[in-house]
Amino acid sequence: MKVPSSLTPLSFLAVTLLVWELAVRFLNVPAYLLPSPTAIIATVDSELFLHLAVTSGEALAGFFIASACAFLAALAFVRSPLLERGVFPLAIAIKTTPLVAIAPLLVLWMGTGWWSKITAAGLICFFPVLVNTIKGLKAADSKYFKLFSSFGASQRQAFRKLRIPFCLPYFFSALKISSSLAIVGAIVGEFVGATHGLGYVIMVSSSHLDTDILFSAIFAAAALGILLFQFIGWLEQRVIFWQTAETE
Amino acid sequence: MSAMSKPLSGAECEASSPQSAGPRQAAITASDLCIGYGDLSVIDNVSFRIDQREFVSLLGPSGCGKSTLLRAIAGLLTPTSGSLQLQNSANEVTDSKPRVGLMFQKPLLLPWRTTLENVLLPVEIELGGNRVSSIDEARAREVLSLVQLSSFEDAYPKQLSGGMQQRVALARALMSDPDLLLLDEPFGALDELTREMLNEELLEIWRSADTRLKTIVMVTHSIPEAVALSDRVFVFAARPAKLAEVVPVELEHPRDLESQAFAKSVSYVRRLIRSFS
Repeated sequence: MKVPSSLTPLSFLAVTLLVWELAVRFLNVPAYLLPSPTAIIATVDSELFLHLAVTSGEALAGFFIASACAFLAALAFVRSPLLERGVFPLAIAIKTTPLVAIAPLLVLWMGTGWWSKITAAGLICFFPVLVNTIKGLKAADSKYFKLFSSFGASQRQAFRKLRIPFCLPYFFSALKISSSLAIVGAIVGEFVGATHGLGYVIMVSSSHLDTDILFSAIFAAAALGILLFQFIGWLEQRVIFWQTAETE
Repeated sequence: MSAMSKPLSGAECEASSPQSAGPRQAAITASDLCIGYGDLSVIDNVSFRIDQREFVSLLGPSGCGKSTLLRAIAGLLTPTSGSLQLQNSANEVTDSKPRVGLMFQKPLLLPWRTTLENVLLPVEIELGGNRVSSIDEARAREVLSLVQLSSFEDAYPKQLSGGMQQRVALARALMSDPDLLLLDEPFGALDELTREMLNEELLEIWRSADTRLKTIVMVTHSIPEAVALSDRVFVFAARPAKLAEVVPVELEHPRDLESQAFAKSVSYVRRLIRSFS
């Protein structure tokens, strides 16, 4: 009998939760250090979903805006090496500055509302997409371009029919990386100043030693990340049916 | 092997073409051709003439500029000096450039396109944004049957073997119904058996009346391959490339690769190349 591939990790998860539950019960671990899984599940309410929705919205908005901007920037960079030389160091500067260091500034500028979190998520997503897309746009073998010019193809046709499709695997693997980062960005933004969101829940519950609520927020963030990653992976398989690239 | 005499490409081939009578027209004429990249001279003062309906191999050590010459013929490179002229097979049609089909060592198929879509690529590019007509599609199917891939129209490149991928590349090169086919080590990456089979098929396509294809110029590293296929072998000496010798191969098609005459020709060319290096 064939076992579905998702069954193996799920059964491991179930065993882990079971061991956790039993360990907490029989070893009398204090609830403020490690609550049992059932206690954590008991804290899940509509309010948690509201916070999850807020964080999802911020992360997704930052992710989409940054990915689109990074893709367009990559197109511009590949067309103009001058622009690449001039602006690329700036992109690296954004990448190397820790987001945690910038986040308070973002909140100071944009307030505790949506935009500071969307910007934080966007800043952290931008670089991987930019770098991988540039790499992807240069990925087609130069022989392909010779072939295209022997067909009398214009630059534009070579771009559309060669560069873009060859770039797609790189673009998608960048999306997978940045989708997880977007959630990090949104939560870091919420740490600094927010009234909603999983980051806010994490801050408040940890200061009140509501460890069960803290855990439920952590799991909600993890679930969101996994879901987003899986969705992009699913989309990738449909769009780039011919291959998947190995990139970072 | 006597040099100088006019090579023939085989009796059947003569019979299959209605316009074969009389002296042959030139397909490619190069005089005092020099090609270089910057200060580096790759082709130095080369002159030759390749006739219509001729199969010529360019043979020589690596880096001798054979591929560069082929690219120049394909119009992908501009000569530094000298002249390089291509003529159409139907000379009376004024200022219509000869159609050129090009094929590389790698198949260079687009992995997101099926066999049929890959073969239609040059047509699509020529049409710009317009849709490919059913006539073009019928033509693509015809070309695919020429390379015996009719049952693989909807397969993607990764589903095909190396030899089959190279057939698709050949079909794509034939799609524009070229007067002139330029091959850059076309089967060099394939195993010996597949290579011999594809060489035979290439000869058949060349000799058949189904295509306009009249002239083939092939870059190769393989002496037996050059002797098996060509009417004449252009032997190049190393950089800067000089056309050291032109060897006519006067063996009737189909050539028997086991025959003494074939072996003699191969060893003649081999000794010739050794004497230049």
